[in-house]
Amino acid sequence: METIPDTSGYMIAGYAISFLTMGIYAASMYIRHINLKRDLETLESLEKETKKKK
Amino acid sequence: MQTKPIALTILDVVSIIVLGISTYLALVFAPTEAVMGDVQRVFYFHIGTAWVGLLGFVIAAVAGIAYLITKDMRWDRFEVAAVEVSTVFFFITIVLGSIWARPAWNTWWTWDPRLTTAAVTELIYIAYFMLRQGLEDPEKRARFGAVYTLLGGLSAPITFMVIRLFRTIHPVVIGNASAEAQGGFSMTTDMRTAFFFALFAFTVVFIDMIWHRLRLGALEEKVEQLKLNVSL
Amino acid sequence: MKNPTPSFFKAMMAIVRKDLAAEFRSRELLSAMLVFSLLVILIFNFALELDVKVRESVTAGVLWTTFAFAGTLGLNRSMAVEKDRGCMDGLLLAPVDRSAIYFGKAISNLAFMLIVEIIVLPVYSMLYNINLFQPGLLLVILLGSIGYIAVGTLLAAMSVQTRTRDVMLPILLFPVAIPVLLASVKASSGYLNGADFAEILAPLNLLIVYDLIFIAVPLMFFEHVVEE
Repeated sequence: METIPDTSGYMIAGYAISFLTMGIYAASMYIRHINLKRDLETLESLEKETKKKK
Repeated sequence: MQTKPIALTILDVVSIIVLGISTYLALVFAPTEAVMGDVQRVFYFHIGTAWVGLLGFVIAAVAGIAYLITKDMRWDRFEVAAVEVSTVFFFITIVLGSIWARPAWNTWWTWDPRLTTAAVTELIYIAYFMLRQGLEDPEKRARFGAVYTLLGGLSAPITFMVIRLFRTIHPVVIGNASAEAQGGFSMTTDMRTAFFFALFAFTVVFIDMIWHRLRLGALEEKVEQLKLNVSL
Repeated sequence: MKNPTPSFFKAMMAIVRKDLAAEFRSRELLSAMLVFSLLVILIFNFALELDVKVRESVTAGVLWTTFAFAGTLGLNRSMAVEKDRGCMDGLLLAPVDRSAIYFGKAISNLAFMLIVEIIVLPVYSMLYNINLFQPGLLLVILLGSIGYIAVGTLLAAMSVQTRTRDVMLPILLFPVAIPVLLASVKASSGYLNGADFAEILAPLNLLIVYDLIFIAVPLMFFEHVVEE
């Protein structure tokens, strides 16, 4: 029987990239979420101010 | 909307667990393939991500039609979520395929029908986001997005059929004996377990990510609304 | 849309007549597309060093790339004109079926593309000493152009409404139009290299399928793209 070629390097790279990509995507959603929350707060306080002036 | 539902937190934990199990099954449990060695193990994630990627694009097209009929913005949010998550998964599919192809076919890339169709599909959905970015009116953005996902969903299978006329070396893993020469292989029972579990795991992760993206979309819409109110 | 009435054809033909009349007066679009096509062929000549051997295998590809680029130019311009002069709004106000507007625009766009092709083909034949006037090849060019314009007209109507409209059309159109371009190249090179008809039949069938789908779909959804 012939020996199994050693291709574990490719395998490790593959799994590393898979998890990295998913991680980056999850992080991007998290960051977008935080930013939107901040925007929301700013806007809400702005809205209150304009209402007060009126 | 503000607080995260408990069900979602549970789903988060479950996704991480099933993804962990799937990784274990793929890396440790499944036997090493005799001809290609360890690199064959990327196949489990390759199939898993490809499955949810395609599923997402089909869902997006259906959501697009539903939006055009009902004009309900929730369908649009659903469509965006499906396209975005699928684009990410499909990217992983393509990269994994390329990594596998290097030792198996001795090249990173070949213009085979599946590879080319995958690349074209990915380009279609990148174009989809560029289109949306160029439009300010949310209602128009939703309409155009829906029409474009539909065109993309219809054109991708024809692309596949056309390129098949040119050439192919991609293995057909299931139900084709002659494929073995091109890097196909027959699965043992343990491989099958890892294979089906990967499909299941990625489906769970996919649902989890869609849910998160939907919440993000709802928040985006709220901010956009408020911005309009404030500027008026 | 349910039953095409005489007014449907009247409206459609009115749009076609309007576009053609405007074009034959100004000749802006056709001259731009033509000059552009000839320049593309010129560039290919040097980029690929089209000597006799190479020529046989790449002619179909060069032709279709040229047509695709020229086609985008025409589509973009013809829709941008409607948008800028406010013609589209006028058309939409008129009590005309939306699909009549789509067909009208598509037919005039197709006419422009075919005119360009009819001029480019003999020039190419002459420059490279290849006989391109084979009935089969002309049929492929007609079918390919129909599919390309059918989906292109819809996408151009979308792209002119975006902020980045000058660059948007090719980005939207090319990935979706890849099947029609590849099938056309395959069928054209089959005819040029004298392949068996059985070999040409497969891409030809796919071309017809693509044409049918991508006439039907824009027809259904054009109204969603133009309404304000």
